[in-house]
Amino acid sequence: MTRISMRSVSKYFDGGDTVANYKLDLEIDDGEFLVFLGPSGCGKTTALRMIAGLETPSEGEIHFDDERVDQDPPADRNVAMVFQNYALYPHMTVRENIEYPLKVRGVPPEERDRRVAETAELLHIEDQLGSDPGEISGGQRQRTSLARAIVREPSVFLLDEPLSNLDAKLRLEMRSELKRLQKELDITTVYVTHNQEEAMSMGDRIAVMNEGSLRQVAAPQELYQRPRTTWIAKFIGSPPMNLFEGERQNGTLTVPGDNTLPVQQETQSRTVSLGVRPEDMTVSGEPPESDWTITGTVETVEPLGEFVLVNVDVAGELVNVKVPSTEVVPGQDVYISFEPENAYLYDGDGELVA
Amino acid sequence: MSVAHEIEDRLDRDVDWEKLKAIVVFMVPGLTLFAIFSVGPMAYSVTGSFFAWDAFDMQHFVGLDTWVATFQDDSIVNWENMKNLQYPMGALPQNLIWMLVHVPLSTLLGLGLALLFADLRGRRILRSMVFLAFTTPTVVIGLVLLFVYDPQAGVFNELLRTVGLEGQVRDWLSEPQYAIYALIIGGVWVQTGFSMLLYSSALAGIDPALLESARVDGASRYRRFRDIIWPLVKPVTAVVVIMGMIWVLRIFAIVYAAGGPSGGPNGVYSVLGLEVYTSAFSIPIEYGKAMVVALVELFIALPMAWYITQMD
Repeated sequence: MTRISMRSVSKYFDGGDTVANYKLDLEIDDGEFLVFLGPSGCGKTTALRMIAGLETPSEGEIHFDDERVDQDPPADRNVAMVFQNYALYPHMTVRENIEYPLKVRGVPPEERDRRVAETAELLHIEDQLGSDPGEISGGQRQRTSLARAIVREPSVFLLDEPLSNLDAKLRLEMRSELKRLQKELDITTVYVTHNQEEAMSMGDRIAVMNEGSLRQVAAPQELYQRPRTTWIAKFIGSPPMNLFEGERQNGTLTVPGDNTLPVQQETQSRTVSLGVRPEDMTVSGEPPESDWTITGTVETVEPLGEFVLVNVDVAGELVNVKVPSTEVVPGQDVYISFEPENAYLYDGDGELVA
Repeated sequence: MSVAHEIEDRLDRDVDWEKLKAIVVFMVPGLTLFAIFSVGPMAYSVTGSFFAWDAFDMQHFVGLDTWVATFQDDSIVNWENMKNLQYPMGALPQNLIWMLVHVPLSTLLGLGLALLFADLRGRRILRSMVFLAFTTPTVVIGLVLLFVYDPQAGVFNELLRTVGLEGQVRDWLSEPQYAIYALIIGGVWVQTGFSMLLYSSALAGIDPALLESARVDGASRYRRFRDIIWPLVKPVTAVVVIMGMIWVLRIFAIVYAAGGPSGGPNGVYSVLGLEVYTSAFSIPIEYGKAMVVALVELFIALPMAWYITQMD
């Protein structure tokens, strides 16, 4: 239906003093579920609003298929948007809310009724149609706002942190529901969130943003396995990747705590970082046979049921290790080891060494 | 079961006498003030309006005589001129005309300005400028109007001359058929600031996401106003309209400053407040008439005040 392409799109506020977005280049495929992921203030919502037409880019072009749309008002783009606080019209019933986009577009009443009924059924809110938005639960409000968005069959579906106002259980439920809806309707979807779990579980691809620009656009698995910079490596994963900064010399890398690791790869700079995910590490009280070992002292052990999180102090820096079970106790000197293929080498400028 | 019995039964069951005593004790100071300053004067006026007065001394009972005389008094209701739609029509009709013209104008202007200023750079300054009129003492507004409408040096006539409408130049505050409207414009100027302020805060209370959502839904500027903004500022409209009506009903200083105690030549823009004042405090003192006019004012205002207290 619709392919979105952003070409070198920038957005400045306050006469250029504030840069909200800088040179975004992004192609979103027809029917794709793309997630903008980033910390708050990274410009992801502004990017979404430019696609919606609520903001006009300061530079660059936005195309829907072959048509340039960045100067068009939202009404002409056939986009639908779900807002963080749902933005339901408080003086209209659930039915009137869902019906509203059809009404302003002059859809005849019989068809309006049919489509409202269909959409309400799809979202399981048939029984709430007569209620006021103030009378229904948060989850039902969320569904109403989704229904209002999809009732007119938009070509692009935009969601701005739609789940952040729901409680944990409902959020999980709506997550799979949203994904189901998107696949069923096959609408190009752009989803903004700061929650990486949401992003990983829902997105076909994730566009990681920081300080107004795109840092990496990749499928969830790739983002997890090959984070392109140390910033992304630290941003994705819970707890995030451990990074050891050190000096590389004659085929060995010296990291804090006088640990040496046999790093062979060529790098641009002498100072590099080695990243290892907590779940790729093991910890034990006995020295293992591997050369890929770092020594430290256990600070705390957190048994979390499905795994145990061991926090190890390595020369003043905290290293997280995630293991199924462990014998180590706080205060014990331990050996952390990992397989070399699970280690990522980052150059001095934070870029992944391929 | 007899009614008396039932009442007794209910009292016994539901009333906590200790608590009731406490409530009464705590309400006494407030009720006393209310009685002395509100209920008392009203009751005194109602009683007084049925008696003859010698200056400020109550004489004998005269029944409805004062009421009848007041409504036949040309300065209050001039039935003859009303039939011909000619001013002066008397203070009561003139006050109502003032209301009919003033309230819609100041309400719409206030809403218009609030909408206009909502997204404007420098809106605070603009709002303050419009609101300034409301903070100005109404006597001063009346004096300013005297200057504005002055036949020779007045800004308004000068403006007419500048735009080439010399034919329209006149002594605005002395022309019986125009004078009241010239003053109403001054009143509108004052009240617009007030209604703009109320509307501005009502508009600021509307979640911007609602309007953005409506934009994405495809609503035009007009539809956004009609479907989203207007329904959400409706409660404020009720307040603005009623406050405006009460304000106009009590209007005094503008009229006094512009036209003196008579309310312009022959009282062409006299209002109820002015009649209360002249009846009570200028020779010949007609205290009974003052009470009747004040009560008429009160009876018009009461339902509005009641309505406004019933609002959520």
